[in-house]
Amino acid sequence: MNPLNKIIFLSAFLATGFLLILLSGALFNNWTTLWIIFIYLIAPLPNLIASSIENSRDDFLTFSNDHGNNPTSIQEFCRFITGVIVISGIGLPTVLFRCKIIEFGSMLMSIIGGLIVYVDIIIFIWFFSEEEEENDDFNF
Amino acid sequence: MDRRNNLFKFNLSMLNLPKSQKLRSFGVYLAGALYAIGFWSMIDAAIYSKSINASNVHVSIVDWIPFICSTLGMIIVNSIEKSNLFNDNQNSFLSPNSNAWAARVILFLGFSLLAGGLAGSFMVFIVKFLMKDIKFPTLGMGVSNIICNGCIMFSCIILWLSQNIEDEYSYSLAL
Repeated sequence: MNPLNKIIFLSAFLATGFLLILLSGALFNNWTTLWIIFIYLIAPLPNLIASSIENSRDDFLTFSNDHGNNPTSIQEFCRFITGVIVISGIGLPTVLFRCKIIEFGSMLMSIIGGLIVYVDIIIFIWFFSEEEEENDDFNF
Repeated sequence: MDRRNNLFKFNLSMLNLPKSQKLRSFGVYLAGALYAIGFWSMIDAAIYSKSINASNVHVSIVDWIPFICSTLGMIIVNSIEKSNLFNDNQNSFLSPNSNAWAARVILFLGFSLLAGGLAGSFMVFIVKFLMKDIKFPTLGMGVSNIICNGCIMFSCIILWLSQNIEDEYSYSLAL
């Protein structure tokens, strides 16, 4: 699969996700659900920041930056933050629905749309990072 | 026949946890997810109390104190370097400034904050809601308080367990 096809498919996928979130706001005339876009856009950031910190640092005397295949504490903390943010994207519409601020259909559409946007960003990073180096684990 | 110096017949090293790097990172993600479930459950109670609450029982600072205790306890427990805890006392003359006792005291403080958070959520549920015979839509605020602190405690346990998973093929060369 050449990169152009990947980009076209992923952008169509991303547009579907944004369409679902925007429809969940537009159909019920209640634009509170747009916050979900913001949450899922910052969700991949902690792991990106952690991996860039780890790659820019080399250890004294060893000059390698694999710590015996063990993740450092910065990476683990960023994974924890990622888990918190991803579940927050599901939790926020659920809380809004339970407090009767948005409707049930709006909750469902915004959760599915947000997950599509997040998975799309992850697949994008995964596709284009495995071309540079052998990256055997699915680093999300 | 080797002489065993264990106190009990069953010890923790018999329990073979599966060891792999993927399981470890999955455990960390799972801990974050559980923490978020607890956090949003508490936020849910607070928004419910402000928006569509029909009764005159509201979420106040008293309901937030168990959550704050649990979160502080979780931060303390998981930010301790674990190699400090397993220092043997036999070498205490060789390394006189070993800080194993300080690590143990701080760890004890963290675990008691966690347990205090869970116990405090039960206490708020009983004293504030059950003793006054409050019926269910309002009682849900107390239940979500318990769910919040239970989830944070589970999250802490899973994070602790998954930090102790070592990779099978990695050899520790640290001095």
